[in-house]
Amino acid sequence: MSLLEVADLSVAYATKNSPPTHAVRNVSFSMAEGECVGLLGESGCGKSTLGTALLRLLDRPARITGGTIRFDGTDITALDENALRPLRWRALSTVFQSSMNSLNPVLTVEAQFRDMFRTHTDMTSGEIRRRTAELLEMVLIDPSYMRFHPHELSGGMKQRVALALALALRPKLVVLDEPTTGLDVVVQKSIMDSVRTLQREQGFAVLLISHDLGTVMEIADRVMVMYAGSVVESRPAGEMLHPYSRGLLGSYADPRAETVDVTYIPGRPPDLSRFQDGCLFVDRCPVALPKCATEKPPLAPVGDGLVACHVAPSTKADFADSTFVRSVRAVAEAPPVLEVTGVHKTYTRRRTSVTAVDDVSFALRRGRVTALVGQSGSGKSTIAKLLTGIERPDTGTVMFGDVPVHRLRGRAMRRYRKDVQLVFQDPFAALNPVRTVRQTLVRPLRNHLGLSEKDARARLESLVDTVGLAPAFLDRYPHQLSGGQRQRVVVARALAPEPSILIADEPISMLDVSIRAEIVELLDRLVHHRDLAMLYITHDLLSARLLADEVLVLNKGTVVEDGPTIEVIRNAQAPYTKLLLDALPNPPR
Amino acid sequence: MTVELLTKPSRVPQWLRILWANKKSRVGVVLLSVFVLTAVFAPVLAPYDPESTDFAAALPASGDHWLGTTQQGQDVFSQLIHGARTSLLVGLVAGVFSTIIALLIGMTAGYLRGWVDEFLSGLTNLALVIPVLPLMITLAAYAPVRGVWLIIFVISVTGWAYGAKIKRAQIITLRTRDYVTAAKLAGDGPMRIVFREIMPNMTSLVVVGFMGAATAAIGAEAGLEFLGLGDPTTISWGTMLYWADNGGALLTGQWPWLIAPGLALTMLVTAMTLINFGVDALSNPALREE
Amino acid sequence: MRYFLRRTAFFVITLWAAVTLNFVIPRLQPGDPAEAIVGQLTGQGPVDPDQIRAVRLMLGVPDTSLLSQYWDYLGSLVRGDFGISYTYFPYPVTHMISEALPWTLVLVGVTQVLGFLIGTVLGAFAAWRRNSRFDSFVTLGSQFVGSLPFFWIALLLLYLLAFLAGWFPDSGGHAVDVTPSWSWAFAGDAIYHGILPALSILVTAPAGWIIGMRNNMVQSLGEDYTRLARAKGLSVRRVALAYGARVAILPNVTGFALALGGILGGTVLVETIFDYPGLGRLLMEAVGARDYPLMQALFLFITIGVLLANLLADFLLGVLDPRVRKEAA
Repeated sequence: MSLLEVADLSVAYATKNSPPTHAVRNVSFSMAEGECVGLLGESGCGKSTLGTALLRLLDRPARITGGTIRFDGTDITALDENALRPLRWRALSTVFQSSMNSLNPVLTVEAQFRDMFRTHTDMTSGEIRRRTAELLEMVLIDPSYMRFHPHELSGGMKQRVALALALALRPKLVVLDEPTTGLDVVVQKSIMDSVRTLQREQGFAVLLISHDLGTVMEIADRVMVMYAGSVVESRPAGEMLHPYSRGLLGSYADPRAETVDVTYIPGRPPDLSRFQDGCLFVDRCPVALPKCATEKPPLAPVGDGLVACHVAPSTKADFADSTFVRSVRAVAEAPPVLEVTGVHKTYTRRRTSVTAVDDVSFALRRGRVTALVGQSGSGKSTIAKLLTGIERPDTGTVMFGDVPVHRLRGRAMRRYRKDVQLVFQDPFAALNPVRTVRQTLVRPLRNHLGLSEKDARARLESLVDTVGLAPAFLDRYPHQLSGGQRQRVVVARALAPEPSILIADEPISMLDVSIRAEIVELLDRLVHHRDLAMLYITHDLLSARLLADEVLVLNKGTVVEDGPTIEVIRNAQAPYTKLLLDALPNPPR
Repeated sequence: MTVELLTKPSRVPQWLRILWANKKSRVGVVLLSVFVLTAVFAPVLAPYDPESTDFAAALPASGDHWLGTTQQGQDVFSQLIHGARTSLLVGLVAGVFSTIIALLIGMTAGYLRGWVDEFLSGLTNLALVIPVLPLMITLAAYAPVRGVWLIIFVISVTGWAYGAKIKRAQIITLRTRDYVTAAKLAGDGPMRIVFREIMPNMTSLVVVGFMGAATAAIGAEAGLEFLGLGDPTTISWGTMLYWADNGGALLTGQWPWLIAPGLALTMLVTAMTLINFGVDALSNPALREE
Repeated sequence: MRYFLRRTAFFVITLWAAVTLNFVIPRLQPGDPAEAIVGQLTGQGPVDPDQIRAVRLMLGVPDTSLLSQYWDYLGSLVRGDFGISYTYFPYPVTHMISEALPWTLVLVGVTQVLGFLIGTVLGAFAAWRRNSRFDSFVTLGSQFVGSLPFFWIALLLLYLLAFLAGWFPDSGGHAVDVTPSWSWAFAGDAIYHGILPALSILVTAPAGWIIGMRNNMVQSLGEDYTRLARAKGLSVRRVALAYGARVAILPNVTGFALALGGILGGTVLVETIFDYPGLGRLLMEAVGARDYPLMQALFLFITIGVLLANLLADFLLGVLDPRVRKEAA
């Protein structure tokens, strides 16, 4: 008998004012005791909703509209809260997404263990304290932290506490919902290692919900892929058959390889408030058949797993038309356009000072991409601010030809900014929600190129064309664009004043995995066609490898290693670089 | 398709459409319109001159005098209708003034930060904790002239703090948004950034602030007039209550004289509160109803 | 600890600012303020020479510089010398205030605390039963009641319950034949007289807390830690109290002190209507009689009271919310 059996489960969000969104559609699957299943999908595919439904934690307006959930032989689909309570945490526990606040901000860590133990056991205070200490040690946290409040812990520590809490009563199933999203890769890696070790020791089953294909592939015994509310594939980690799964898998590659190629999936997911005949992926599928549009493929056994596709049994889809290939290439020497020499920057806030950047030097050259790789807090965003003149270095110089950027003010600074433009990380925050694309793009043309309103408008069509957008997009507001389209607008705005230097601050980290390579391709093309110098800031070695000719690895404000990208990645010397490389998920392909 | 519909910007300002969309605030808008129309057409609507003392004193409610007459023989109903003018005038003018003060102080503090912010925030917090009505009473007591404009002045200089605090907080979150940095890089100057990039994202907040200030001003005006700190010869709901209380409306059983102005005040304030509720719900998704 | 020091520092600064404001207001008028005030007084009929002397005393010698006047003013504050009230000559202002203070303190204290408790509890229930009939009734009701001008409610209560029904006395803090003393008889009489004024405040007082608490708690109930508390299988009571309400009440604690300023303003009206012998009525008497020294001192006292309440609320928040302690550190 399976531990968890889900049959034909559907969940809808029904609000008064808009048509219901069918977030989970007729999902069926089962999990065995002790099994580790990865639930993979991009944002909005319904994976978190599914996880929440399994935990019976859905809040209005979300509601289970059909199907059943059997847990350990009991039908819990409609069980009331009182009947559920004995099952909760004892048998079925969870860890929420780390970027959320899943610990009560006003209770100490110990109190949050205590109320749970009090509810489910007869342990005395002393026993509870001893057990809490044990659990914290299990997740590598010093027991003295139990007296602390959540805000006094780092993000990684909070997530370890949440994990210890989830395992406290030795449950049979733990639902991990994006447990490491938003944490540094090194921390992510160590938390996932803990999960795997503890799971082997204690034998609980894990449902790991994540958009991070690398992590899921590496940890899970079996992978389920969700798209537009449905499970499209379920099989042991390894080669996938569904075109969507293959597309996702294609967006990963080993940056150490001689030639690295990544794919993207053009288009965007369907509107979940409507039901459509046929396969939901059909519009984005490179190998779709006529019947895919009319006939819904069932989830049927193929090979060692299940797949919902008419094509998969016979043809393996590939995304040759949407692949970005990067091999080793020679870089022509060019004189530097921007030289950074020995910059320091220290922030002082209420008596404590933090050194954000410590003696960093590098140069940017035309037609070349320099990557700055580091974790959050490594100082990489501060360097972007120093280069754009938003901040000034305490010591050291930033020279643009013979212009001292670190001393510029007022009009001279404005003139300099014509030449240095920024591509932002979050495409949702980088565009003013009340202004159309046209209104946004006209400003740099008028300010920096001194064009009249009429001339500026005349140029807009060719400007959006360079980033691959149709002129119709000019009259859209940001909320009417997808993430990828927004990021294209952000790139267009940066290109508008015809700069010589482009600084891209994590431009793809907020985008869905399946479209990242698309933006990488765009940036790569622009650098070479327009002979731009680019500083590419990232935490991710793979994208650095794809885009950059040379790389600087930054740790706590200092450069620990630099050189041509392929050499740094293949032949890392600094221990920190090696740590980053080790933390790279290594999915079997 | 919805996307195409949205691209066509409507002539109706967004905040008004927002208000109309919410059931509660729609009731508020209708109610407020009734008051505004009453105030505008007061001379037409009122059966008598509100200041005329031609009638017998202290008449009970009747067909001729719907709400009776005052101790001086004025028609209560006519006074009630004309009183709407004073309340709305005070609400509008004091609301506008204190919103402007709040905007100037809040925006300056929030955008410039540094010591300017330290100073202005200190000032705001100070103004926030000082008890307003005693301050108003003290100010009004010292003033050499009495009347509606004094009350408007006193309300404006004492009532801006809450709005300033909220606007400061809002601009602090907005000024670090990436699109503001982007506007800087696109070569826009600080004035343009504040007024064209940041302000349009604050309209709901400014509307809420204005409505709140106007509501408070209407209440404060009535309170001050009731205490006799205004000019007792102006016709307003506050002075009506002042005279009703002093003229012994309680003892003579002229309850309409006492009830009507308070009820009108309540209705007006309720209308404003209902409108504000709709705007609040929009700026804070957690308050939206399902 | 730094948090508490910072709050104390803010208290000291606001205290200084209030004291200075009190010094500045009478001097805002053009020309010699004392002359202006005396001029206003004489314009209204014969003036008691004591009155002029009191005004002179309060404003200091006009020939000296503003700075030395300010210095004298601060000095007399420190000595507790607020001058002589001329309406109640020869009593010093402080005597009048100490007579009135307990009445207001009890009235405001009781109504404020009760209003806060009632409002917070109702708001919490409304949030817990969100979108239920109880919720709509309570939220809509409190929005309506909260917008009632409360001096009008006081007038209505006075009319209905005192004049028409005759259940309660229509004025005063105690019956004329009962002298204030520490006795049950007096306490009972004072409570009997206090019920209507208190009720006038209590009708509207909970409204703000209801709405504030409901909105905060709707938010905290939607947070991940509350969902996790449910997943932990904790009892409904524990989830609602320790996770939902515990976090939601914090902004209300800050609001508690801020609202005190407003409530005190309201008591001026209520005390005037019920002729209740507190600070508010004293203030209106002072205004009516143009007893400037008394008025000045009352404004200062009321302000200091509100500032102290704010300091207390800040300290309480520091104890209840570990996050604010950290922010200041």
